[in-house]
Amino acid sequence: MGTSKSITRELRSWFRLPKSRREFLDRLTFVFLAVIAVIITLPFFAIVFEVVANGWILLNPAFILTNMVGFAEGGIRNAIVGSIELVAIASMVAIPLCVGAAIYTTEYAQRGRRRARRWVQELNKWVIRIVEFTADVLAGVPSIIFGAFGLIFFVAVFGRSLIAGALTLALMMIPTILRTTQESLRAVPLSLREASLALGATTWSTSWRVVLRAALAGIITGILLAIGRVIGETAPLLFTTGFNFDAPWGFLDAIASLPFTIYLYALQGHTEIIRLRAYSTAIVLIGIVFVVDVIAVWASKKVGLVVRAGGV
Amino acid sequence: MSQRNWRKILFGASTRDLVGRTLLLVFAIITSFVIVLIFSQVWARAFPAIIILGPELLGPVWDPTVTEQYGILVFIAGTLWVTGLSLLIAIPIGIAGSLFLAEYCPHRLKEPLRLILILMAGIPSIVYGLWALYTLVPFLRDLISPLYIPVWDSLTNSFVWLSMEWYSGYGVLPAAIVLAIMLLPTIVAVSYDSMVMVPDTLREASYALGASRTETSIKVVLMTALPGVGAAVLLSLGRAVGETMAVLLVTGNNTTFPRWIFDQSYVLTSVIANQLGLAVGGYPLMESALFVVALVLLLLSMFFSITAKMVVSWGMRKQGLR
Repeated sequence: MGTSKSITRELRSWFRLPKSRREFLDRLTFVFLAVIAVIITLPFFAIVFEVVANGWILLNPAFILTNMVGFAEGGIRNAIVGSIELVAIASMVAIPLCVGAAIYTTEYAQRGRRRARRWVQELNKWVIRIVEFTADVLAGVPSIIFGAFGLIFFVAVFGRSLIAGALTLALMMIPTILRTTQESLRAVPLSLREASLALGATTWSTSWRVVLRAALAGIITGILLAIGRVIGETAPLLFTTGFNFDAPWGFLDAIASLPFTIYLYALQGHTEIIRLRAYSTAIVLIGIVFVVDVIAVWASKKVGLVVRAGGV
Repeated sequence: MSQRNWRKILFGASTRDLVGRTLLLVFAIITSFVIVLIFSQVWARAFPAIIILGPELLGPVWDPTVTEQYGILVFIAGTLWVTGLSLLIAIPIGIAGSLFLAEYCPHRLKEPLRLILILMAGIPSIVYGLWALYTLVPFLRDLISPLYIPVWDSLTNSFVWLSMEWYSGYGVLPAAIVLAIMLLPTIVAVSYDSMVMVPDTLREASYALGASRTETSIKVVLMTALPGVGAAVLLSLGRAVGETMAVLLVTGNNTTFPRWIFDQSYVLTSVIANQLGLAVGGYPLMESALFVVALVLLLLSMFFSITAKMVVSWGMRKQGLR
């Protein structure tokens, strides 16, 4: 942190010979680490280049706006709309649940403690601990486990359908939204709450009208991060959504999605047209994910939240 | 009492507060109940196979259709190979990268680099898989096959099990490479965070003693941030074990034991992805055995994330940062 120099100063000090073995080693380490940094970012550019270079050939308005006709013809509208439907319904389930749970833990369990009885305080402390612990464990659960769980729990009730896939995705969104919401609620200054409470407002109206509004940008960041993560997930959808060449809005209809379509293309074999269509679908998917992620990073900077690669 | 008072009691602010808080408590309980539900469901489905098959589950042969043998050892071996090799690639590179980002990186480059890392972590795993399938596999095949046959045939006359007709490009190696690429953002970001948290006073003290930048960054910063780096390794281990789609496409999915990195393999996640949809249709024992695989995965991932959390809090307590 404190030791980073500007590029020009760094370069200028390079044009004189090192004075000692230690300085030479110092520079050698710098070069070595810089090369490593380039190596780390190289795959990113390689993959994006590969996807775009192969996929743009087929990419045109018709490809996005028409449904698939078999696997080799038509566009991918059904997959795009399907992905949006899945994520929209998943968000509608996950957002109220997580924001509610986060408000309970930070506003009721943590702050409203002083006046409560001893055993209520203890209980609330445990609620906070359990909610945070389970969210962290849930964040580490492999996505295929969510798929298997969705198959035996949601598909058993709804069949392979939009609602089964969306509920499975909703479970995956919980940790990200919950932890980010908690973090941004905790960042709201105490004085705002105190002012509201001093005017006679209850904790309920303080939470909804004051704290939540102050924390809104942070919460939206969390929601966007969760959406960006979940929209690219294939494994939870493998057994839960089925596949559809159209994009109906019925909750119990089978539905296509972008990642699942890419997976099916990858399984279809190695003919040129399938390969190109897979890459074109990947461009659309990566495009959506990147836009969502960039907006999330931009929003997080506005509110001073730190977004980290790899989620929570 | 007048009607007005009743209305106040039923719909007043404090009643709304009480009802609201109860509702929110229910939400909080639901969110923490999800993991319990997942675990209990997976356990319930895995239980019959554990009872019926018992130690047979640890056998080396997976053949549910013909001989009806359900040994999951081959998948554990595959996961060990792929995960081990990918971490062997990713950990040193990742730690070096985070050291560069935290200590050496010019300010102007820092934000773009972090954005690239976030976007890298955002690329869906199926796209990594697609890239590996269409680019990495042919590349490795063309790169290694010409060397492979003459060199290894002459070299492995004494090790017959190493010799192979040709190299397909699929197997442990491409899976480990693509997995390493996917893990790098997590490792770099988590260990970068712990390096940034090292107080500047430590760096200044080190410089004041005449240490160079390299000595400071390795002997002071890296050593102080070691718990965070350990947490990064554990977290990425959990992800590596649980990664499904990218690995599924390039390991070759062959139920023989992988003996070295050019062999094909079959990992824990892939067998669920490939066979569960079929098994649920009417092969109860196979379904149950697959849920044993899921249970193993679930326990592994829970173990890694809990250990990572413990390592972080231990490290912070040790440094007096919390």
